[in-house]
Amino acid sequence: MPLVRRPTISAAAPAREAAPGEPFALLSDPDAGVRWSAARALADEPGGIQALARALARETEPRVREAITTSLMRAGSEEAVCALIEHVRSDDAALRTLVVEALQGMAAAASHLPDLMADADPDVRILAAEIARSMPADEATGLLADALAGEQHPNVAASIVEVLVEVGTSDAIDALRMARRRFAAEPFLPFAVDIALERLARSEP
Amino acid sequence: MSADAGPPPEAVLSEEEFRRFCEFVYRRTGIVFTETKRYFVERRLLERYASTGSSTFAAYFARLRAESQEVEELINAFTINETYFFREEHQLRCLTSSLLDEIVAGKAPGSPIRIWSNPCATGEEPYSIAIWLLENWPKVDVYDIEIVASDIDTRVLDAARAGIYGERALMRLSRDLVARYFETTGPGRYRIIKDLRGSVRFDTVNLIDARAMARQGRFDVVFCRNVLIYFDDASRRVAAENIYESLVPGGFVCLGHTESMSRISPLFEVSRHAEAIVYRKPGGVRHG
Amino acid sequence: MAEAPMSRVLVIDDSSLVRRYYRAALERAGFAVEEALNGIEGLEKLLEGRFDLVIVDVNMPKMDGITFLSDLRARAAPTGSVPALVTSTEAGPQDKEAARRAGANFYLVKPVAEADLVAHAALLAGARA
Repeated sequence: MPLVRRPTISAAAPAREAAPGEPFALLSDPDAGVRWSAARALADEPGGIQALARALARETEPRVREAITTSLMRAGSEEAVCALIEHVRSDDAALRTLVVEALQGMAAAASHLPDLMADADPDVRILAAEIARSMPADEATGLLADALAGEQHPNVAASIVEVLVEVGTSDAIDALRMARRRFAAEPFLPFAVDIALERLARSEP
Repeated sequence: MSADAGPPPEAVLSEEEFRRFCEFVYRRTGIVFTETKRYFVERRLLERYASTGSSTFAAYFARLRAESQEVEELINAFTINETYFFREEHQLRCLTSSLLDEIVAGKAPGSPIRIWSNPCATGEEPYSIAIWLLENWPKVDVYDIEIVASDIDTRVLDAARAGIYGERALMRLSRDLVARYFETTGPGRYRIIKDLRGSVRFDTVNLIDARAMARQGRFDVVFCRNVLIYFDDASRRVAAENIYESLVPGGFVCLGHTESMSRISPLFEVSRHAEAIVYRKPGGVRHG
Repeated sequence: MAEAPMSRVLVIDDSSLVRRYYRAALERAGFAVEEALNGIEGLEKLLEGRFDLVIVDVNMPKMDGITFLSDLRARAAPTGSVPALVTSTEAGPQDKEAARRAGANFYLVKPVAEADLVAHAALLAGARA
């Protein structure tokens, strides 16, 4: 019958395994596919985090950036977190999004949040709120409620409320009520805060 | 609002608790629960409360957010995990009605076509692919088809190699197909015939191990169904990268019917066919 | 006389609150609404169903709004030509231009007022042949 095969060696060529030291050099290769493979390989190499951090600063190809952030995410170290945090200020929105996604999955990011949530740049504060989503409810609520209490920028407030709606406890109710008054004339925010208030009223701290 | 089908349950969840839960599940898994499924959701949640010793939604939800193990248990509670032959048949139809045409365009007769079932569990999927091709693809003799089946669990691989199944696994197969591809080894026990067993190569592979994945070479189609939904974010991304690397340019990956690359990776093109949405590695030559 | 079928809108935004807000406004205005939370899911929904309008935010994980729109516009009609309203927190001319080049029909700056959303939705969905 068709499909029956003689037990020969498969015709498929296995992918080439890189020689030691190669990934570092290949991270600057003109070919995006080569850089992608190098970024993946460096997660496990000593000194890899630094090389990945430098590469992230100059890489423009989306899937190579994604591979770099995945490798940093897997490393999970304080060094990897710092390499990512460097880019929360980037003008490049896509890079900021990538970086935040990775930081959401890294426990070591939590200690940086108080600073990030107090940053002068509203985009950084928005990202900080998103990172808080992966923290335990009490910790996240404390940080987010404090940030909301002093927040003047409507889009940052919206981001904080968005995260509170998932993770918040009733400890955030006062800050939410204040925000409701502060942003009463804004579109969307009163709607968002009302939902958060209703939701958090039943959530014991 | 839909009419209540059974006796009204005590409200387990408030409106906003229900929404909070649904939003979390949707974000993580893509699974959508609507108001019409509320009774079903509440029953399952009560089971999870009991298993986790949670007395309130807040307590349970805190646990769910913190423990990936509980997310896995929850997904299991809400999905049907049974494996059987010709499960998700629409993807098999997609294979022979659409995907293979694209794969063989530009391939000379006798060229290899490599298909990977990963994970293969106890073998229903790779054997289904083989049977389906033999029964439904007119060109099955024209090309050199290799079916590789892999799993991380060596015990299920042993079972798959043995190829023995009960009635339930065969429930979607006609009597003809059973007679053609199985022999009876006992009451309600059926074994895949020797030739077919020999046509699938089984190998232990971990989806998140880049080297192990790369050793298997490049494939035209990968079936990776109903496993990535259980992985954490980092592992999903790595698995997706490994699958990408394992595909030839233009090759396809098929996920489980509740799964989507939207929760996993932007590496693949969304590829719409009459029977299914699958994902395609960019590159290769497009035909039709 | 047969009722005209409702216009179907796909809302793509990674914020559950924004999706809920748009849904409430659009449903009150008589639209049928579906949701997606990033560009990949948005493409899947559009490929599986018929929509008269897509409202898509620029900033989303996995696949942003501009990438989504470029991918969408490369696909055959009617899917590829669905009217698209892009939303963004950015108000700058370069951002609007990038959206236009990718194939946006209109651009609204967040936070979006309900009346603006509904007025533009009616205009763009109605323009669908």
